Amino acid sequence: MRKTSLWEKDKYRFLIPTVLVCALLVSFPFVYMLYTSTQYWIALRPERSFAGLGNYRSVLLSTEFRQSLLTTVIFVISSVAGSIVLGFALALVLNEKFRGRNVIRALLTIPAIIPPAAAGFTWKFLLNRDVGLIGGFFLPLLGVKRALLGDPGWALFSVILADVWCQTPLMFLILLAGLQAIPMELFDAARIDGAGFGQVLVRIIIPLLKRVLGLAVIIRFIFAFTTFDVIFTMTGGGPGIATQTLPLLGWKTGFLYYDLGQAAALAVVMLLITVFFSSTLVRMVKL
Amino acid sequence: MRLRRFAMLVVLVLMLPLTGFAASRPTVTILAFAQGFAWPELFGSTGLERTEKLAELEDRLGVNIEIVWGDESTVRMKALTDLIAHTGRYDILMVGSDGGVQLYGWGGYLEPLDYYLENYPMEWFDPKEVFPKFLDANRMPPGGPLYALPYYSFGAGMIYRADIFERYGLTPPDTVDELFTVLQKLKEGLEKDGLDMYPITMRAAPGEEPSLDLLGFVYAYAGYPAIFEGGAVTIEEIKKTKAKPILNSEDFKKGFTAYVEILREYGPPGASNHTWVDMMNLYAAGKAVILMPSAINGYAAITITEDPAVKKYSRFALAPKGPSGKRIQSFWTFSLGINADSKHKLAAWKVLSYLCGREAIQAFAERTGWPNVPMRSVLYSQNLIDRYGLEQIELNEESIDIAEPYYFPYIPELPDFMDKIGTACSRAVAGEDIDKVLDELQLWALDRMFKAGYYR
Repeated sequence: MRKTSLWEKDKYRFLIPTVLVCALLVSFPFVYMLYTSTQYWIALRPERSFAGLGNYRSVLLSTEFRQSLLTTVIFVISSVAGSIVLGFALALVLNEKFRGRNVIRALLTIPAIIPPAAAGFTWKFLLNRDVGLIGGFFLPLLGVKRALLGDPGWALFSVILADVWCQTPLMFLILLAGLQAIPMELFDAARIDGAGFGQVLVRIIIPLLKRVLGLAVIIRFIFAFTTFDVIFTMTGGGPGIATQTLPLLGWKTGFLYYDLGQAAALAVVMLLITVFFSSTLVRMVKL
Repeated sequence: MRLRRFAMLVVLVLMLPLTGFAASRPTVTILAFAQGFAWPELFGSTGLERTEKLAELEDRLGVNIEIVWGDESTVRMKALTDLIAHTGRYDILMVGSDGGVQLYGWGGYLEPLDYYLENYPMEWFDPKEVFPKFLDANRMPPGGPLYALPYYSFGAGMIYRADIFERYGLTPPDTVDELFTVLQKLKEGLEKDGLDMYPITMRAAPGEEPSLDLLGFVYAYAGYPAIFEGGAVTIEEIKKTKAKPILNSEDFKKGFTAYVEILREYGPPGASNHTWVDMMNLYAAGKAVILMPSAINGYAAITITEDPAVKKYSRFALAPKGPSGKRIQSFWTFSLGINADSKHKLAAWKVLSYLCGREAIQAFAERTGWPNVPMRSVLYSQNLIDRYGLEQIELNEESIDIAEPYYFPYIPELPDFMDKIGTACSRAVAGEDIDKVLDELQLWALDRMFKAGYYR
């Protein structure tokens, strides 16, 4: 007869506190959000009624949602790609031994410790057409006299640039840690076999970094998809709604239009998008 | 040693009633922005001090006074969440006359103040001293209960650089046609002379901000608040006449287009993302000749500027008249109301009457140097006359006299309208087609009003 260990007997009891905490901190707000998304509920108005899927229909059919979704897609793809490519390139360079490497590594991580809201204000100031170091001094020297944050296309480019600046250090750290975990023997063997950098990159580094890269992409995707602070402080979603991503639309719907039902519906839609893409990525990289 | 312990015990016992007394005093908590220049006599120039004056006031009223500061948008969000949750955490809240009063007053979240004014008059606050329009702007619906008292407040106007005007032989424009002529001459002159200045600065960042000024243009062009059919501004009027939004009508479009065209042609690049802070900074840096129609931002610029020419040559003029003969508007009051869920309403009223009373407003005028005050007696105080001259102060009073607080609707949906109109303005200034923007705005407005049940 198989003996039941103490762990086997009590494992559910051990889990109870965690489950309770999760239930309180995660499940309740989630369930409440689902419930709110089915309500016609304008804050500060006494009447509140069941709306069924009405809020979802309103959200999905609105032109502002479609425009914000498109902006979000452009923002997420550009920002994720930019920070991953840049972070990877930096990790490759700074994985090599050279004088001053540790100082550069430390300097590169500075943006990661600056709060995104502060970074947004800093970039806004730097890009200012009249007094900014970049927008008011360097760009005019190059013949660019436009106000970047006042032009719909350039404003989106600017917030992507700022976000890449903020997030690249984290990607750099994750990928550097991944690179350092690859056994040096593999590089030595490749060198003896006469492999060039390109072959080492494609045949050794990328295959062995696949999971770390996958993890980095998932983390970055979630961060980029929920970015609020940098955009809010730099452009407030403008000009017009040119840089308005879904989180900004959600904030506006909830805190400016007081439409809590629609804001909750939008949050549920965003959650579904995040879960879908994250789980697809998890499956792709077999995490 | 024992004697010392005994003495300490006696002292502590004697102090107990005092602590009990302090603890029994109600605490009135204020939520506001403008840290550092609002109520400097109570909270110092940092907003974090507890001055002797504050202690004196607390003792006199028998209350403890606390203040919570935040930037404007944070304060607005805090007010909203606190009011919805009915916590009563903030006894006195900052609510603007551009949405807060209408929304919270109508929803029953603010305490009507007429009863307190009548039954608990306080020596600091005499409603007769306040320009009636600044009080009226805080009634919801118009003519209805008073929900907030004004602190600093303003009517429309133009702050301009007299030296630059003189250089090009210009005088302040009295009509919008003259305004366009002046702007064109300024543009040509500045370009010719290689002066790094823009003819004008106004705001067009997405959100509610530009609506305050832009709707003032709409009013001056149409001659009435052309947001709903027939110029309806109250819930009753809209419901009774089933007045639909007219945001893509000719009447609305004329003023909207003028605002957008001015910024496109004569404003700074990037104005589509400019808030009042950007306007103020540009003018303070000596980079704009005119700032309008929210002249208060010009006064703020004059106060902070390090450019001696801005300080020396800035003047105030009335906002130009539109084709209708009515002047461009920009009217706002920084108002304070009492939370209907406050547990200390009477104490809050006493504090509020000080916060919006003559002494506090005089302290504000002295701290900031802005003539944007709701009381005539403060407007004509020696401090402001010395700073700007009697003629300029009289012009400021005239701008209040000719102000029309109801140039936008007084409905609970006002915050949504302000945000959507402001964002449409930002899109148009950034280059989008005006007709397309206004058609989309109109569709949204119709949907919003139908959903709110106005046309049942």
